[in-house]
Amino acid sequence: MENKGIKLINEDGKRIDGRLYNELRPIKMEVGVLEKSDGSAYVEQGKTKIFAAVFGPKELHPRHLALPDRAVINCRYHMASFSVEERKQLGMTRREIELSKVIRHALETAVFLEKFPRAGIDVFIEVIQADGGTRVAGLNAASLALADAGIYMRDLVVGCAVGKVDGRIVLDLCDIEDKYGEADMPIAFSPRLNSILLLQLNGKLSIEEFNEAIKLAKEGCMKIYELMKETLKKKYSYIIMEEE
Amino acid sequence: MSPIYFNEREIVLPGQLLAEGKFISGEGTYIIGDKVYSSQIGLAKYKDGEISVIPLKGPYIPKKDDVVIGIIIDIKPNMIDIDLGGGFRALLKISKRSEIKNLNIGDVIIGKIMYSGLKGIILNHEEGFKKIDKGLIIKIIPTKIPRIIGRKGSMINLLKKETGCEIFIGRNGLIVINGPSPNNEFAVASAIRMIEKEAHTAGLTDRISNFLKKWSEKYGK
Amino acid sequence: MSEYFIGKPSSFSIKILHEKIYELLSMNKRLDERDALSFREIDIKTNIIEKTDGSAIVSLGKTKVIAGIKHEIEKPFSDRPNEGIFVVNAELLPLASKSFEPGPPDERSVELARVVDRCIREAKAIDLQKLCLIEGESVYSLFIDLYILDYDGNYFDPSVLAAVAALSVTNVPIYKVENGKIIKTEERMKIPMKDFPVSVTLGIIKDKILVDPTLLEEDSLDAILTIGFDSNSNLVAIQKSNLGIIPENLIEKIIFIAKEKADFLRKKLMESISNG
Repeated sequence: MENKGIKLINEDGKRIDGRLYNELRPIKMEVGVLEKSDGSAYVEQGKTKIFAAVFGPKELHPRHLALPDRAVINCRYHMASFSVEERKQLGMTRREIELSKVIRHALETAVFLEKFPRAGIDVFIEVIQADGGTRVAGLNAASLALADAGIYMRDLVVGCAVGKVDGRIVLDLCDIEDKYGEADMPIAFSPRLNSILLLQLNGKLSIEEFNEAIKLAKEGCMKIYELMKETLKKKYSYIIMEEE
Repeated sequence: MSPIYFNEREIVLPGQLLAEGKFISGEGTYIIGDKVYSSQIGLAKYKDGEISVIPLKGPYIPKKDDVVIGIIIDIKPNMIDIDLGGGFRALLKISKRSEIKNLNIGDVIIGKIMYSGLKGIILNHEEGFKKIDKGLIIKIIPTKIPRIIGRKGSMINLLKKETGCEIFIGRNGLIVINGPSPNNEFAVASAIRMIEKEAHTAGLTDRISNFLKKWSEKYGK
Repeated sequence: MSEYFIGKPSSFSIKILHEKIYELLSMNKRLDERDALSFREIDIKTNIIEKTDGSAIVSLGKTKVIAGIKHEIEKPFSDRPNEGIFVVNAELLPLASKSFEPGPPDERSVELARVVDRCIREAKAIDLQKLCLIEGESVYSLFIDLYILDYDGNYFDPSVLAAVAALSVTNVPIYKVENGKIIKTEERMKIPMKDFPVSVTLGIIKDKILVDPTLLEEDSLDAILTIGFDSNSNLVAIQKSNLGIIPENLIEKIIFIAKEKADFLRKKLMESISNG
């Protein structure tokens, strides 16, 4: 979107919400927040609020979609109509369909699909309030929900968005920065596999800027990774406290 | 000995490095080269050269010889379709018409898995198969079933003794409680939910014992 | 638990469960040890989504519903040129239950939205005439969107509570009319509310009545009935939402029980509005 003269970074290097270029927004994470799914999680990142739920592994219907040697993940990223500034129409938009696909690819790598032949695993991501970075925050919530459900995984998947705003490479864009900045690049890593599982670019970056952005993203993701691990351990901390 | 990177009462997470060296990768773990990693949230264990992870929560994986509880969802000329829940279906072969006379869609049955693999799940129709006529049916996380049974049946026997209830347990997480009165059945259900929540904590058997004693005092048997 | 099984709800009911539910009701008890006419624990929180004009999240036992309200300025209906508009949409999110398929709103979501709409419309909960800017041309249009996040039976009652609670805390920008044009000002105003409807959902099994059925109970019920009441105990909506029969001789008793329960729910609703 054309920058309507809004200064996104001021002379002190502070962004529109007071953050420095490499600061994440405040993050809140919780698992087991929904009762009827096999695993669930809730993530808040700044004003972005997202629920994720996992069902499975279970018999896949229709049968002909099942694979003989592994599970099939069905992933749906969806935004509530009131989650965005201008009310979104009901139903799946093309953007939601695309994001569902790239998120699914990231999860397919991390989950041991071979452990559940002919089964299906449903992953549902629901954005309740959107303020930038919803696909990566949604992916983080999905990752937590899968772990909460006890699905076998190689690693937790962790994502965050980097971008270019007022000529600077910054971490974790909020909605305004995404709208009026020059580039937005969501990325997801598996720290254990030291690999990238999701990568997209919206906007324009030089190759040097891209390399700088990847480095910054990795730093941000590692911080979020620690928070995800804490969140999972916290749920079961009462087991440890019962030591006699 | 090769290094082990966890201790007994530590919650391990998917992707966490558990050990390095000559180890066997057991349930809930995977191995790359000589590094053993966890694939679930749980408690890691080392025994006889094998590293495994006891998951705190996880799907039921049907295995041969498992006793399971299910619901009849279809009756065909030679076969009965049984829903085991958790996304799994089992089949029961019928050899004699007389076997199915008393069976109807919606009935609860208990049976033993004869085969579980690429062809599906097949229950043994000869031995161990029974219809459960009445009782309170509840569902818990399948990975907690061993704790409900207890070492050599110690926990389930405690529940049966203190409440006078018959208790049918399916490895797939379904349990049917049949008692002299609904109060007895609720007592067992409450105790089971306590065990499900506190399965890995110390002193659980004593707490359940106390809970049941208090209940006995209040309601009599 | 019925969602634990592959068979969709109502395709079969578990016989011994059905019998157990009836046996317990004869002792005024239910599977979760409630008595027949009690609601599960209710929690109402408002203003939880800043980007909406108003919002609420309601938990009824394990069932959770979120309501978000946004406004637009639109042309009124030709037969009501001086009245604001409101539209209710509902989605049974696949997050909430194995039995909710992803896809366009199915018959259950549409039914839910229309029942909630009737409760609000017939009770005249919103003072629509105060939402008119230029007669015949521009009025406030409110979009009330409901999402079921977690489903353990009875989405009707928490949906009505969430919608009305959200409306009660909704505020919209004040628009000025100057030379026939609409101009948005910096000030905001609350939606003018005239009434606070609630609904009560009951289940009937043979000759027994229960209030607020859980998912497990739903499959064993002979009939499910949802009744909406306004603040003066008038009936503003009735919906029998499943197959099955209601014995005629129970109707009067059902309505009487529902009215008592409606008063209880409204009290909870008003408490949360004044606190939130």
